[in-house]
Amino acid sequence: MIPVNGEVLQLLLILGAGLFALGLYGVLTRKNTIGLLIGLELMANAVNLNLVAFGRYHGGTDGQVFTLFTIALTVAEVAVGLALVILLHRSRRSTDLDAAADLHG
Amino acid sequence: MMHELTATLRPILATLPLLHIVVAAPFVGAMLLLFINDSRPTTVRVIGVVASAISMVASFAIAIAYDMAAGGVQMTSELALVPSLGINLSLGVDGWGVSLLILTGLIMFAGAWASWTVKTRGREFYLMLLVLVTGVFGVFVSLDLFVFFLFYEIAVLPMYLLIGIWGSSNKVADAGPFKFIWKLLDIGGKEYAAMKLTLMLLIGSALIVAAMAAMYIEAGSTSFDLRHLEKTRFSLGLQLWAFPALWVGFGTLAGIWPFHTWSPDGHASAPTAVSMLHAGVLMKLGAFGVMRIGMVLLPEGAREWAWLVGGVAAINILYGAFAAMAQKDLKYIIAYSSVSHMGVVMLGAATMTVNGWNGAVYQMFAHGLMTGLFFALVGLIYEQAHSRWIPDFGGFAKKQPYIAAFFTLGCLSSLGLPGLAGFVAEWLVFLGAWQSPHAWWAIIGLLGAWITAIYVLRATRRIFWGPAPDEKWTDIRDPRGTEWVALWMLGLALVLFGAVPSLILDFIDVTTVETLPRVANAALEVLR
Amino acid sequence: MTHDLLALLALLSPLVAAVVLFIIAPLRVRGAVSAALTIGATSVSLVASVLLAAARMFGATAPNVDLQLAWLPGGAQTLATVGVYVDPVAAPMMVVVALVALCVQVYSVGYLGHEPSRDRGRYFAYHALFAFSMLGLVMAPNLLQLFVCWELVGLASYLLIGYYWTKPSAGQAALKAFWVTKFADMGLMLGLMVLYVKTGGFDWNVPVGQALMTADAETIAGLFFLAVVGKSAQFPMHIWLPDAMEGPTPVSALLHAATMVAAGVYLIVRAYPIFMLAPTVLTVMVYLGAFTALFAAVVAVFQDDIKKVLAFSTCSQLGYMVAALGTGSMVSGYFHLTTHAFFKALLFLTAGSLIHAVHSNSLHDMGGLWAKMKPTGILLIIGSLALAGFPMTAGFFSKDLILEELLHAGHYLPLGAAILAAGLTAFYMTRVVMLSLFGAPSEAAEHAHESPAVMLAPMVLLAVLALAGGLLHGDFARMAGVEAAFHVTPVGVVATLVGFSGIGLGLWRFSPGRRTAIGTQWVSAPMRLLTWLTASKPVDVFFAGFYRQAMLRAAAGIAWFDRYIIDALINLSGWAVLRGAERFRELQTGQPTDYVYAVVGGLIVLTAMGVFTA
Repeated sequence: MIPVNGEVLQLLLILGAGLFALGLYGVLTRKNTIGLLIGLELMANAVNLNLVAFGRYHGGTDGQVFTLFTIALTVAEVAVGLALVILLHRSRRSTDLDAAADLHG
Repeated sequence: MMHELTATLRPILATLPLLHIVVAAPFVGAMLLLFINDSRPTTVRVIGVVASAISMVASFAIAIAYDMAAGGVQMTSELALVPSLGINLSLGVDGWGVSLLILTGLIMFAGAWASWTVKTRGREFYLMLLVLVTGVFGVFVSLDLFVFFLFYEIAVLPMYLLIGIWGSSNKVADAGPFKFIWKLLDIGGKEYAAMKLTLMLLIGSALIVAAMAAMYIEAGSTSFDLRHLEKTRFSLGLQLWAFPALWVGFGTLAGIWPFHTWSPDGHASAPTAVSMLHAGVLMKLGAFGVMRIGMVLLPEGAREWAWLVGGVAAINILYGAFAAMAQKDLKYIIAYSSVSHMGVVMLGAATMTVNGWNGAVYQMFAHGLMTGLFFALVGLIYEQAHSRWIPDFGGFAKKQPYIAAFFTLGCLSSLGLPGLAGFVAEWLVFLGAWQSPHAWWAIIGLLGAWITAIYVLRATRRIFWGPAPDEKWTDIRDPRGTEWVALWMLGLALVLFGAVPSLILDFIDVTTVETLPRVANAALEVLR
Repeated sequence: MTHDLLALLALLSPLVAAVVLFIIAPLRVRGAVSAALTIGATSVSLVASVLLAAARMFGATAPNVDLQLAWLPGGAQTLATVGVYVDPVAAPMMVVVALVALCVQVYSVGYLGHEPSRDRGRYFAYHALFAFSMLGLVMAPNLLQLFVCWELVGLASYLLIGYYWTKPSAGQAALKAFWVTKFADMGLMLGLMVLYVKTGGFDWNVPVGQALMTADAETIAGLFFLAVVGKSAQFPMHIWLPDAMEGPTPVSALLHAATMVAAGVYLIVRAYPIFMLAPTVLTVMVYLGAFTALFAAVVAVFQDDIKKVLAFSTCSQLGYMVAALGTGSMVSGYFHLTTHAFFKALLFLTAGSLIHAVHSNSLHDMGGLWAKMKPTGILLIIGSLALAGFPMTAGFFSKDLILEELLHAGHYLPLGAAILAAGLTAFYMTRVVMLSLFGAPSEAAEHAHESPAVMLAPMVLLAVLALAGGLLHGDFARMAGVEAAFHVTPVGVVATLVGFSGIGLGLWRFSPGRRTAIGTQWVSAPMRLLTWLTASKPVDVFFAGFYRQAMLRAAAGIAWFDRYIIDALINLSGWAVLRGAERFRELQTGQPTDYVYAVVGGLIVLTAMGVFTA
């Protein structure tokens, strides 16, 4: 086990931030719903990474435990998300986000 | 003899919770209606009529039980609602209240009969009507400002549904610099009328709430009781903004210019009984609020703004009369005449003289009876002719001699013919105006009465006089059955209270004499 | 005590009849029942009035009846009272009102005999209302009650002019009468307000020079006089009176000749203590009255409608009364009011009889009726002589008194106008008599027949009074505290001679021979112009123009302003909210990406704020 000191934490946080930025970029630019979901997944995992990193840094197990919960939740979220995508595809013949702008004012 | 009789009856009546009865009877009636099947229209109507009859009789009983020699607020009772904020359901009645309770009782009873012929959703109609009148009665007997406002809103809100559901739509041609509005709004439609009325009155309510809250806080945040607030000397700063807020807030309902425009459309769209109650009673709530809350609680503010209140009232009188003169739709004539006549009420209030105030409250009473009669008649004509367009009418007196006679009676009271209730009120108001520092108000008022004579009599001639009516008016007829009740009741009341005004005016005078000095003395303090 | 009861009886019996007839339809729709009730009630009033008057005139001096009830409260005390008040001034007028009313009502039974029963019922109900109102006016204990009844007689007038309501012209005439008099009545209301503010009451007996300054008195009297101008049809507000002839002829006799139009004169009589304090108003009265007397007499000469002749003649005679009162002599005006009531009612009733016979108001349709209707003819001649001031008739005494007062007061111009008007009066009445009674009968007149006895009897009674009424002049003088015996004066002689020449000229101009030669088309072209100018036409046109051009346009303008400016501004606020909402709704694109952008943007802003504020 690599002990996580301040220096390592910093590296991990940078990695997390990069991952988050990557995901956000995907969410903001992708028109395809699957791509959007992947972006969301990246952002969620960036957060998970931060949780684990901080958990190790503080030396408790809370971080890991919470991460397990979030992973489980993310799975559920992806399941719901993919189900939505399938429904969207069924009704619109497309997985494009533009097709699902029914809530416009 | 009358005095002995009332003196013997008074202790007996004092044992009854008359004020509770007068307020609760229509509400209980409304609740009962919830349990009546819609397929039994007669039961619905009977409940409506009985509930209003109980209130009417109770209002007469209150008049007998009220001891004029003692004066003040009588038959008080209290029930804590929100003790932490000092909100109590405290009821009590003064002379003004007595007279307006009688008016409400009469109009509601007549209105319940006039609604006998409502075809669709009769149950819901009566229900709304009874809820509305509960609010009206409540306002006149409330001694707690918060409860007063609560009842005020209960009285105002059912109007939205009553007009929106049972109303009738009018066509208003598009013209003028704001023609583009017509593309977006259905101007003249019943939903439009209901919406405009409700929104304008609610904006007024917002102003009332603001003034009310400020007064409550300045009086120590302990009580909404009017008697407590009356004892408080509010700072001039508060009074100077709170009085205009109350004036505009309540005044919107009283139809003060230029916030009167809900009234013509609202009254023209509303069904018969609703117009009767609204113009007959509800508009008086506004004027009553301005006088009872605005002027009595904020005397210095009222003094400072009297010139504006009276000036606007003078505009109301002439402007309403002229606008009525140009109308061709019968209901619009009556509606604009209400704007003009409510101006007389506000003018009387602004004079701050004994005669002016007596006249103002009496005008509320007289105008209520008169306009109730008018709208009942218009309803009858409209039901049979399916039109209110005066240029199409003519010679109706041949087939509707009684409607013609009652209409003429209403007109005569409206133009202030002596012997009818309208004269007494107008005369007192104009006399008060002449005694006030603004004597020109009286001249405006007189001119208004003269213009009223022109347009009401012209309308009478157009509708009822002339050669026998066209072929297309074969269906019109005189009233029959239940339709008579409102006409005879209100018509005779106009004559009775015009010939013997002291029946009501004695009550009014008691409260005027008690409250006016507050306002009259206030002036000196402001000047110092 | 008995007098109190009598006074109440005189006032309340017509009221009871009116209330019963207005409310109980089954009685009203039966014309005969309605007539019987009204006539019965008026008879009771007449008997009571005669008893009350007898105890106060002819040297007797019973105390005044003064019963008052609180009517309006104001400031914990009584603001106004109502009641009955009979003094030597009110008593004779009560008799005149009740007597003429009774005569007219009895006459109407015959005159309206052919009308449908329910219409007759309505007619008599109105008459009962009128009798009550007019008596209430005469017996008013204060000026406020006088005003109340003043308006009520106006109502009765409106209803009775509009009796033939299916005729458009009747409707217009009724409205015109009401509007014009109501406009003038504003003067009375304002005057009462000034009076109240200055003296704290509505009493006419004001302590002289104490409570009321001259300036105030001038204001009050001037305002009152405005109302008189309207009610008593003085120039320029006389325009409603000729139109009022649309009503049934008996109505014209009672309301628009004998009693109601004289209410204005009675108001001056009643409020004389105030008028006496207002010299300017009195002078105006003299000049305006004399002008109206002359002007209306000129117009009357050119009328072809017999009722219009009489209507303008009424204007003219009311002008005499107003002028007389303006000289400061209450008696002369009041006395002429009384005698005029008798002979003008008589003239209208005889005119009605003629109209009844030929079914036309026009003098052209009459002629040669003397042969068919001798009694009516004689009565018409008696009335005409009285109106023309033929010596020893009632009109002679009262007119003479007025001219004398004008002379004494030194108003020479009005005096000249009045004498000239007297000559014209004699002339136009002779014209009426000659054209209607003599000459070749017109087609309509061929079938004429005499009126029934029920119509003749009241006329005979009035004719007796028109002849003998002058004997009362001493008594009227005593009322004012002057012991005046009649004596021949130069001005009286001149006026009588002018009157004779008027009659002579009329006899010559309209003698049957000449009439057949030139017909009634005797008005030459320049005279036609004069006719148009002097007939009420220009004044009428002026008022009609004012109504149409000023009032109706102002009304249309304000109604437009209300709908398309004031209300539109309210609507504009609604419009602005709706339009604004339409703009704002575009913020909601429905694109998830846009919302994410918003979240991220928000995050950046919040972070930045955190960084900078930390």
